[in-house]
Amino acid sequence: MCSASMNQTPIPTPQEALRSSPVALLPSNPGRAAMIWRRFRKHPGAIAGLLVLCLLILAVVLVDFSPYDGNASNMNELLLPPSWQHPMGTDALGRDLLTRVLLGGRVSLTVGLIVVVISLGIGVSVGALAGFSSGRVDGFLMRITDMFLSLPSFMVLILISAILREVEAPFFEKNNILTIGLVIGLLGWMTFARLVRAVFLILREMDYITASRCLGASGLTIVTSHILPNAIGPIIVESTLELGYAIIEESGLSFLGFGIQPPTPSWGNLLSSAQDHFIAYPWLAIFPGLMIFLTIISVNYIGDGLRDAFDPYKVLTKVGNV
Amino acid sequence: MSRKTLLRGLIMVCLLGILVFTLTSCQTAEKTEQTQSPQPVITDTKAPSPSSITILIAEDPPSFNAMISDTGYDALVMELAMLGLTDIDPQGNIIPELAAELPSQENGGVILDEENGTMSVTWKMRNDVHWADGKPVTADDVIFTWNAIKNPDTGSWIPGIESIDSVDKVDDYSFTVQYNTIYPGYLMQFGGEQLVIWPAHYCNADQGFAAWDCGRKPLSDGPYILEDWEAGDHMTFVRNPTYYQAPKPNIDQVIVRTVPDASVRKTMIIKGDADVIMWTTEPIVHDLENEANVKISFSPQNRWVMRLFFNTAAKGTVDSAATPHPILSDVRVRQAIRLAIDVDTISKNIWFGYSKPVWTEFFRYPYACDIPRTLYDPQAATKLLEEAGWTDQNGDGVRECHGCKSAEEGYPMEMELITYSEYGEPLVLTQQLIGEMLGKVGMKLTLTVVEGSVLWADSASGGIEQTGNFDIDLYDDGYGGVDPTDFIWSYYSADAATPDYGWNVGRWMNEDFNSLLNEAYTLDEAHRKEVFCQMAKILDQEVPMLLMFSTINAEAYSARLEGVQSTVNDLVTWNVADWKIK
Amino acid sequence: MGQYVVRRLLQTLGMLLLLSILLFALVNLAPGGPLAGYGQSRHILPDRAEILKRQFGLDKPLTVQYLIWLVGNDWMRVDANGDGIIDGYGTRRGILRGDFGFSFRTRQPVLVEIRQRLWNTIYLMSVTLLVALGIAIPIGIISAARQYSLFDIVVTTFSFAGQAVPDFWLGLILILIFYGWLINPFTGEPLLPSGGMYSLESQLVVLDRIKHLILPVTTGALGWIAWYSRFMRSSMLDVIHQDYLRTARAKGANQRIVLFHHALRNALIPLVTLFALDLPYIFGGSVFIETIFAWPGMGRLYYQAATQRDYPLLIAILIIGAGLMILSNLLADLLYAYLDPRIRYS
Repeated sequence: MCSASMNQTPIPTPQEALRSSPVALLPSNPGRAAMIWRRFRKHPGAIAGLLVLCLLILAVVLVDFSPYDGNASNMNELLLPPSWQHPMGTDALGRDLLTRVLLGGRVSLTVGLIVVVISLGIGVSVGALAGFSSGRVDGFLMRITDMFLSLPSFMVLILISAILREVEAPFFEKNNILTIGLVIGLLGWMTFARLVRAVFLILREMDYITASRCLGASGLTIVTSHILPNAIGPIIVESTLELGYAIIEESGLSFLGFGIQPPTPSWGNLLSSAQDHFIAYPWLAIFPGLMIFLTIISVNYIGDGLRDAFDPYKVLTKVGNV
Repeated sequence: MSRKTLLRGLIMVCLLGILVFTLTSCQTAEKTEQTQSPQPVITDTKAPSPSSITILIAEDPPSFNAMISDTGYDALVMELAMLGLTDIDPQGNIIPELAAELPSQENGGVILDEENGTMSVTWKMRNDVHWADGKPVTADDVIFTWNAIKNPDTGSWIPGIESIDSVDKVDDYSFTVQYNTIYPGYLMQFGGEQLVIWPAHYCNADQGFAAWDCGRKPLSDGPYILEDWEAGDHMTFVRNPTYYQAPKPNIDQVIVRTVPDASVRKTMIIKGDADVIMWTTEPIVHDLENEANVKISFSPQNRWVMRLFFNTAAKGTVDSAATPHPILSDVRVRQAIRLAIDVDTISKNIWFGYSKPVWTEFFRYPYACDIPRTLYDPQAATKLLEEAGWTDQNGDGVRECHGCKSAEEGYPMEMELITYSEYGEPLVLTQQLIGEMLGKVGMKLTLTVVEGSVLWADSASGGIEQTGNFDIDLYDDGYGGVDPTDFIWSYYSADAATPDYGWNVGRWMNEDFNSLLNEAYTLDEAHRKEVFCQMAKILDQEVPMLLMFSTINAEAYSARLEGVQSTVNDLVTWNVADWKIK
Repeated sequence: MGQYVVRRLLQTLGMLLLLSILLFALVNLAPGGPLAGYGQSRHILPDRAEILKRQFGLDKPLTVQYLIWLVGNDWMRVDANGDGIIDGYGTRRGILRGDFGFSFRTRQPVLVEIRQRLWNTIYLMSVTLLVALGIAIPIGIISAARQYSLFDIVVTTFSFAGQAVPDFWLGLILILIFYGWLINPFTGEPLLPSGGMYSLESQLVVLDRIKHLILPVTTGALGWIAWYSRFMRSSMLDVIHQDYLRTARAKGANQRIVLFHHALRNALIPLVTLFALDLPYIFGGSVFIETIFAWPGMGRLYYQAATQRDYPLLIAILIIGAGLMILSNLLADLLYAYLDPRIRYS
């Protein structure tokens, strides 16, 4: 699975960050969004990625208009290779593979979104609390974060999924997608926490924050008007990467049989069903894998572009977050 | 920190890498398990290199004790190394192994006590079989094995265990089994697919039958000796020079390799890297039929029947009388389901035509009963459902109860169809097709796939079958050998409906059936057949389980091998001593 | 420095303890808890569940169970055969003394099962990691030195692609190509083996081992190469533009010396700490690679144990894995603090 270090890059210390130019850390201003978009546009890779992702989301949303039913079998069209009628071929029950792949995309992207929302929610809260408080609370929260980070996440996901499938709870069965998203999210918030905390630590030492405080601004005002707007950049960048992480984890889990269960298609379990026949009918495996690949690579390019757009001098994301 | 330190660190890492690499090349046997039995030594340097074959399996066997784990892989390797009193051939004939002859009423081996309804069986063993360390296989070993089995703490259940009062030694090579009932399956008591005799002087009784070390480091009396076991990777067996059927086995070395991926196994046998694939499934057989250097051995009989188990008790409960299932307790619904499933289409399209329709438990010699087949007829199914009070009045495609006898008004015809994941893709596809077919007659099925370990666990562990936590259950099963009595008891008898006691997880109770079943415990074959066929009629009428089709039992083997014969009654290594390389 | 070390060590111990409680609670959530999966065979003796419960001490409150799991029960009197009467001392020594219990599937001690597979995984993953680093570091350096050149663009694109490929998919495709399609021109046999660690009849041991390593290592290393090369490049770029290097260059030092001695050393610092964080993967292995390439290692053992609900084995592997991760974190932190004095005093 993904390298451990891919989620645990060292965060710069406040001193390190302060030593560089704080140009990007201006208090929020209306022209900022346009500035960011302009910088983003300069990245051909990021634009391409954005295009591909938008196309994908469009296709996934519009799949209901497909002439084929993704779940109904068709005994006359079993295992057909790609053709004009079936651009991705058909599967072992005669179902159009393109439709199933797009339905699977819907599931995988939904899981990804749920994961991002959950890990954002937990991560930002923990990180903000840690960054804003001092000493004891900060230390305690960081140790909890470290502990979660030390769990081999994929293995724990398998364990939790195995346990959930034994527990007789109708909620888990009926809401497979939600459950999987929840579980993956529960193990993916740590990067957000560390990131947000680092941003808080850097920013709260800044002069204009101190000035605000002297002028009598409350803690809440400081957080919302000064710190969060600057933190949004790295958070958005990290969210796109988190989406990529979520899709890979869910595909892996579903491939092993611990994630989304058939007949609901997901890219992972489509690959798993293809295993028996993939040498004889390679399209069954090529297309779902290709979709995963395209999604992740687009998301990564977008993340890269966003990173440069929000933070061209790499103040907040220096040393490590490539 | 100096430059030197960093460079030193990097050099150390590189050195470590080289070290790791060379070490692994040198050490091959350090971590493998060695057996204590004498190794045959080939001293003649001019002798041809030993003949060797490779058998591929999907999973590492947990041990050699097939009674404990019952995965099939354990039985495969058990057949290579160890012997039971009797074994069973692909036709269903029982053959003596450790036994000198089969006891019967004619030769005085079996003594019936009609009055008390008990019997005793006296076995005479061969006196020329030895363990690989030279000691003879005697009745002491049988008594030892029996004591280990019946130990309440560390033993295990075996078929017939409740019927045995005692096993007594008569002399070094004979013993008597005293039954407390008439037990028709007595010939397979200490043999067959799962049970062998264990060495008294070698196995540690304290460790117990369920966990003793000799289950992983066996002492052989069979055709092969375990030389080397690299956990998770392979096991190497070499010929046993003291095998009682010398000069057999014909092949010097058997390697059993674990390869989890099915398409890789298939590619290996095509390329000649393997000789036998254990339990080759339909898709692989289909792909291999046209390969020049691969042959397929089909079992002459069929055993594994794909079936739907109906829970006649409400989901989550275990008492069908107190809490009957709102939909499935009505026999007309079960009969309608039978009419609504197109078995032939499933068989042709998913199972590549290798499956044969089966509609009664009694379809095999010598108890094949003449029950007419109910053919696919969705219109008849619809009519039956309407008659039973299930109609769709709100136009959503799913029927509700309107005047049905088992549920309240308006109860929707929605159920969960569950199956297990280990079988693989064809079973999952079958489940989806069945869901569709039943959807066409107005039933809404949610499909769930679980692991076998969850489905079949005991009720304390939340086992889905034992706790009754299902509506319809799709899986395959069937009995080995010729005697269906134990199998029928565990699936259909009233006693077997008690959680953890048997496998009548559909909680079907039928008095007539039970009394007929009791009558089947007799040695009068003609009467047995009559009784069985009456039971078949009841099952056909009541449909507690819907039998659909048999699945394949076949092994793919390389064309250079001779003698491989797939069988439903045992694993393919049952006659490994007879195999030859052309 | 000493104070820092002690502080971190204490924190590590606390985390390990918390972790063990978390995992223990998790496993006991399943109905029947640790017994789920004990009755694998379809033949179960009636009344067995109760006896087993007492034998395993599952009728005691969770806190007591946790304690026993941690330090064993051979110092206290227990009901050894499950008949309800306390009749002897327990036999478990607890995980702190290395007793992780018995696997449900094979009835072997869990540590024995792990030990049988651990070496295979270490072997595969070390080679994978070394190969990955060996390729990634030079690529990253060259990429940074020739920023925006064709080489750089190709490498950057490749690293994005490499991180996007799911390894279970890649493994299957590689087997298809190298075992299914391509033939060795000299022997007429498949170019590369389909799996396993070594051939049983091969004479050239080292060459045989290398052949068996190529496909699994390629599959596993790809993602790492992509990641580390990108990281190396970025790290080098940051360092190259730093002021002190400008000073060194202004002083007239040779360009190459500047690059390799000053920049590399500092660019490697974060890499070393990242590498330390990846070390636990050497022990955990990859489920996909080991299943597809029939490699008898820890990843496959874990997956098998999960499907069969072999909880003692699962928990042991998780504890060991997480424990190693925590220790690596400690190592990384200490290393970083040692290498970069600025951290120590923060």
